[in-house]
Amino acid sequence: MSERQTIESRLLETWESRAGSAMNGRLHDGRELAMARFREAGIPAKSEAWKYTPIRRILERMPLLSLGAAAEGDTLSAADVAAFAIDGLDAFRVVLVNGRFRADLSDLAGLPAGVRILDLRNAASDPAVVEHLDGTGQEARDAFAELNSAFVQDGMVVVVDAGIVLERPVFIQHVLTAGSPALIQPRLLGVFGKDSQARIVEVCRTIGQDHVLTNAMSEFHTATGAVIDHVRVIDEHKDAVHINSLRSYQEGGSTFSTNVITVSAGVVRNQSYFLPDGENCETHLSGFYLGQNGAHIDNHTLVDHAKPECYSNELFKGILSNKAIGVFNGKVLVRQDAQKINAYQSNKSVILDDTARMYSKPELEIYADDVRCSHGATTGELDQEAMFYLQTRGIRKDDARLILLEAFAADVLDRIRLDAVRDHVDALIRRRLSQN
Amino acid sequence: MSATGTEYLNEVAASDYEWGFVTDVESDTVPKGLSEDVIRLISSKKSEPRWLLDWRLKAYAHFEKILAERGFPTWAHLDYPEVDFQNISYYSAPNSKPKYESLDEVDPKLLETFERLGIPVTEQKMLAGVAVDIVMDSVSVATTFKDELAKKGVIFCSFGEAVEKHPDLVRKYMGSVVPHTDNLYAALNSAVFTDGSFAYIPKGVRCPMELSTYFRINAAGTGQFERTLIIAEEDAYVSYLEGCTAPRRDENQLHAAVVEIVAHKGAEVKYSTVQNWYPGDAQGKGGVFNFVTKRGICEGDDSKISWTQLETGSAVTWKYPSVILKGDRSVGEFYSVAFTKGKQQADTGTKMIHLGQDTSSTIISKGISAGNSQNSYRGLVKINPKASGARNFSQCDSMLLGDRCGAHTFPYLEIGHPTAKVEHEATTSKVGEDQIFYCQQRGISEVDAIKLIVNGFCKEILSKLPMEFAVEAQKLLAIELEGSVG
Repeated sequence: MSERQTIESRLLETWESRAGSAMNGRLHDGRELAMARFREAGIPAKSEAWKYTPIRRILERMPLLSLGAAAEGDTLSAADVAAFAIDGLDAFRVVLVNGRFRADLSDLAGLPAGVRILDLRNAASDPAVVEHLDGTGQEARDAFAELNSAFVQDGMVVVVDAGIVLERPVFIQHVLTAGSPALIQPRLLGVFGKDSQARIVEVCRTIGQDHVLTNAMSEFHTATGAVIDHVRVIDEHKDAVHINSLRSYQEGGSTFSTNVITVSAGVVRNQSYFLPDGENCETHLSGFYLGQNGAHIDNHTLVDHAKPECYSNELFKGILSNKAIGVFNGKVLVRQDAQKINAYQSNKSVILDDTARMYSKPELEIYADDVRCSHGATTGELDQEAMFYLQTRGIRKDDARLILLEAFAADVLDRIRLDAVRDHVDALIRRRLSQN
Repeated sequence: MSATGTEYLNEVAASDYEWGFVTDVESDTVPKGLSEDVIRLISSKKSEPRWLLDWRLKAYAHFEKILAERGFPTWAHLDYPEVDFQNISYYSAPNSKPKYESLDEVDPKLLETFERLGIPVTEQKMLAGVAVDIVMDSVSVATTFKDELAKKGVIFCSFGEAVEKHPDLVRKYMGSVVPHTDNLYAALNSAVFTDGSFAYIPKGVRCPMELSTYFRINAAGTGQFERTLIIAEEDAYVSYLEGCTAPRRDENQLHAAVVEIVAHKGAEVKYSTVQNWYPGDAQGKGGVFNFVTKRGICEGDDSKISWTQLETGSAVTWKYPSVILKGDRSVGEFYSVAFTKGKQQADTGTKMIHLGQDTSSTIISKGISAGNSQNSYRGLVKINPKASGARNFSQCDSMLLGDRCGAHTFPYLEIGHPTAKVEHEATTSKVGEDQIFYCQQRGISEVDAIKLIVNGFCKEILSKLPMEFAVEAQKLLAIELEGSVG
């Protein structure tokens, strides 16, 4: 019990000590409420949602985290950040160092009219922020979402007005660099107007080796007819704990796709909530996890079909080896009277040795009868016959293994529509697989 | 769907419970309430040895501890009022005479009850070829074919009799598969169980007939807490059947049973259940709370345990027949049809725990929901880090008959070995309009088409039931499904 009080009360103390420097207006009110809710919820000790990721124990093991790290990143230069660029990606570049926007490292030149990319710190009174920040998915909020809202200060706002098709993608680089153990809580709000189109790419990387807890939250509000494509690549070091809450709200007739690629060495929890809140929505969610050397990767999704005539398609695949733990908990919820839903969910994992574990929990919760819902989950090793086939054709065993693993990953990676990003991720995964 | 189809489905959802009569027999019921004294009273009424009383008291202490520390299990997709354990009578025996020497002594009204239920109790029904142990309320009232079984060395008797005559076997195996610490209801059962069935199949014996236990709750305000223990020695085989019904009552009755199966090297146990406790009325009033812990262990190499269940009754079902695959090359199977209607809720499935090498398990679950019912599959497949070559296939299909019911699937797959091959797939659908259209084109009425499609949906499971039981099960499902449509 005393430990429990320690973590929450420590955060509360930090929060109170920073309340003076808080932002004005609505954000501040929201923070009070969020902190109260966080204190009520508490960091889960034993819960069905965190069954295979003992987050409380993980956080208790971490050293004392300070919030002061944001300033430590001020010395970071353009050259440091350039190392994390994606070759051949022509995009508007946004760099967040320890969650804080760095205009000097970013490149937003040529942003067309009707598109705004803003630092949340200075955008509290922007109509998009006022209307949509913490605006959706209240039922899916948990302690970490509350915690993020309680401290909300740093982050980005991307607004694409109705009818605008943003040709160049928005590339958001999250760089973590902490000289001491740090808690970083970046925030992303995307508001996409009617019939707009945009592509968002996020890459999360760490510099340095200190303990860091990222508690990120992204909210996307996609209006009727809009088509949004989102990719997030998480590649952090072994002492990084990354909790990433995504909430997507869709109006009728919109399409939202997200793909989360996790190759971190530490602990990652991707928890996503999708609410297609109108007819004829399309929701594509996919993810790939490469767990090596003691990594712990947990993908937790909920697709909440509240309205009829929608389509959702979920595919998560992963490769696990050497003491890595993979978790998949996906739920498709079809509410009463949400008829004519087509929902598919699939989770496939390859385990490469007997020290790795996979916990898969694909769930369906259905309250309407005229629906087509299915899910599947498979776990196994590489097909020995396929290995043999390749070897008989003169391919070395290691190469054969690599070919098969890459082919396995391709189902998910091919869903990344931006060629440069896909090539980058392909190469990253190939490199990691051959290192092992 | 046209009016007749919808009407038919409504009738299905509203159809009545046929087994809801009460038999008017005298019964010896202890006052309501749960305490150490009640447990001592049960134990003394059954003239139990000291070790068993101690075991009960230990379980009771643990029950109180779990209830105080953890409370009721809340993880299931169920919504029901907390059970008031003090408002239940823990012992009720039909007739004041607790033991029968032969069938002639059994109250004719009791026999009549079982006639009405269609259970072959009397020896005249020898042709039925099933040895039956009947448990009414809390005590075993009759066991048939004992002598014939004894010739083969098979022991089949009530649990009480086993405690008296085969204490070594009971002491060795009771609680070895489902320990009294397992969960709240298993702890409660261990403390207050009153009777049940015991079967022991010696080495190399293939049990010559199906063994069957029939459970019935009759008296009002009682709970039923029976224990079944089945032991199959090396290379033995037995097929075991279990059936149950209860009268209509306005209050919720509690049924918390424990079933333990031990299969030694090369042995095979097939356990089939047709569960038809009173489900409550259309408004969800009354009905049995069915909180059952069933588990088998494939102790020896090459052993096999197979669970087949047809779940149509109970207001609330919380039941996960499981297999621990400890022996190398052992096999676990789970075949289930769960049908819910009215306001019934079922959260049922299985656990397959793979420990040995090259073990395999198969799970096939079919859920059918109608009316305002909620039907969930919850199953665990766990491959231990040392269980190389494990294989699992799970399939969970749900069918919805109406737009006010729910069908849910909650599989847990925990894989710890690279050579494991684990597959799970699930679908949810309704009776397809194209399928009905196809049937209608061929001159089959819409109502018949629905029956045909639903029966086809379950056929895979029902065909796994032993022949004698399959007939009963099909009849039961047909009645559940058909309502009054001819």
